[in-house]
Amino acid sequence: MSSFNSLLDGFASALSISNLGFGLLGTFLGTLVGVLPGIGPALAIALLLPITYTVSPASALIMFAAIYYGAMYGGSTTSILLNTPGESGSVMTALEGNKMARNGRAGAALATAAIGSFVAGTIATAILAFTAPSIADLAIKVGAADYVALMLLAFTTVSSLLGSSQIRGFISLAVGLVLGLVGADLQSGLARLTFGNQAAIEGIETVPVIVAIFALGEALYIASRFKEEGWRILPMKGKALMSREDWKRSWMPWLRGTAIGFPLGVIPAGGSEVPTFLSYAVEKNLTKHPEEFGHGAIEGVAGPEAANNANAAGALVPLLALGLPTSATAAVILVAFQTYQIQPGPTLFLTNGALIWTLIASLFIGNTLLLVLNLPLVRLWVQLLKVPRPYLFAGIVIFALLGSYALNTSTFDVQVAIAIGVVGFLFRRYGMPITPLILGLILGPNLELQFRRALQISAGDYGTLYATPLSKVLYIVLFVVILGPTLWGLRKKIANRKGHVTK
Amino acid sequence: MKLPQGAKSELTFVGSLFALGLLVFWDTARSEIPAFNLTVSPKVFPFGIALVLMTLCAILFIRILRGDIATPEGLEPGDPIDKSDYKTFSIVLASLFAYLLLIERAGFVVAALVTFFGITVAFGNKRHGRSIFFGAIFILLIYISFTKFLHVSLPAGILKGIL
Repeated sequence: MSSFNSLLDGFASALSISNLGFGLLGTFLGTLVGVLPGIGPALAIALLLPITYTVSPASALIMFAAIYYGAMYGGSTTSILLNTPGESGSVMTALEGNKMARNGRAGAALATAAIGSFVAGTIATAILAFTAPSIADLAIKVGAADYVALMLLAFTTVSSLLGSSQIRGFISLAVGLVLGLVGADLQSGLARLTFGNQAAIEGIETVPVIVAIFALGEALYIASRFKEEGWRILPMKGKALMSREDWKRSWMPWLRGTAIGFPLGVIPAGGSEVPTFLSYAVEKNLTKHPEEFGHGAIEGVAGPEAANNANAAGALVPLLALGLPTSATAAVILVAFQTYQIQPGPTLFLTNGALIWTLIASLFIGNTLLLVLNLPLVRLWVQLLKVPRPYLFAGIVIFALLGSYALNTSTFDVQVAIAIGVVGFLFRRYGMPITPLILGLILGPNLELQFRRALQISAGDYGTLYATPLSKVLYIVLFVVILGPTLWGLRKKIANRKGHVTK
Repeated sequence: MKLPQGAKSELTFVGSLFALGLLVFWDTARSEIPAFNLTVSPKVFPFGIALVLMTLCAILFIRILRGDIATPEGLEPGDPIDKSDYKTFSIVLASLFAYLLLIERAGFVVAALVTFFGITVAFGNKRHGRSIFFGAIFILLIYISFTKFLHVSLPAGILKGIL
């Protein structure tokens, strides 16, 4: 009941004229940036961070919520019309959605994606509103040693579930941890990896790293490989509307997608790749039109899109309740909080309760605004794709450089951004996933802090790290995640060998 | 032993990450801890991370030698890997450096315009007049909306007084 009242207060605050204005601006900008090919929600938020440097925390967070959902809407439009998913979560949408667009059903694909995202987003945000406070209550009892285990688990799942190569994921994580080390140690003041550079003592800012590794890295990579290739926009005939048949085939996948996406967002399962894939697989198995899969089945758009949005809302639960981001996008939102000296975690609902309820209320509002705005405006967004590629990349790079400099008005941050841009290029060239690096950079210092706290409490006894039941369970899961793929591979190999023998 | 195409450059890359691990190790080893009584020394984490990074790189190095080479983003496993076009790569990189050098000397508008132009050239735009024209409008719009409406300070540089 108290949750409900707080939520109503949140709505009252979010619906003030100025906050509503920031919400509208956020949905507009979020969609605008999200529609651009190759830009996922994480980069969209990172690029738009500078806009919020000077506005009040409540307005900024409202804008973020709007940008967050807006960028996801934009991303699905690009996947369907261009077949260039901006992030791993829209890969599945592109699969069937692009085929639908080719068959002249772009309108229905866009509509089921938008309405499905709205349905999933609304349900998931409602669950978030009513579960996050109780999870935060539980989380207060989570000790430093448990946090260490939780973070290690998040590292492991994100590194080994993303991308095709487990070891490359872990190397990416380690490089992120190295970046997180730079600067003065918080407890002893020891300058680590600064090599006498005064500016480096403050540590490496996360904003330049994030915009650089995505935007500058992508620009360098595309310039060196695919600069000649253009893209072909599929024409959209008619309006973004669904027939009665489309509704009938979409509503169950929306609900199933929500049911798959939300819980997988709450546990650190490595972002939106797994839930969208699972939802796609489920729909493919349950469909009454199996012959359409692979040729533009509407269920294959409705399910994964809903799963993607529900997953994004689910990821906010560990972020708000534990301060633990489980995806690149959640990591960027954590950075946004920290810009305002707000540290998400168990005490957040006590210390900044009003702010959080305003944020949750604005998630509902942003979601509704998007549905109302985007379906009629989809043609306008499509026009945006006609901007020639050279201009598009030039514009993105300018925004990234602006954000890096404006944060502290310092050229050191620009130097970091350029260096990280080159790292981003190399990571793309050599097939290393990027999300683990970002998570390592942001959570690394946090991990060290909790590790030391745990050992201080136990007076140096390392046994404390796995003394609690929760930490024991987490370490078991961790080993399964690390060894699982290897064992699975071995089993396959043995099976293959047996197969050869019997032949 | 014949290495698959692209393996040599990947070995160099993984080797340099190994060197990064060595650098972290060396920097940690040579630094002196302030006279504090700490339960966990500030050296524990750097040493740990350096060792993990070096071990992982060594394993990957061996795997690459055995043929497990990386799939560049946007390609499918087994696709032929073209040589990177280092000419356009250099133009983009030079444009980024131009921004770094010019931002505090010439101001945001000039620096951003040079970078904008450089990147359009790298991406194969031939109509240079147009790109400067559109770039200038775009950058002026950004400059005015950020400084006037959002109160984010950006250096005016040599255009001070005009803007």
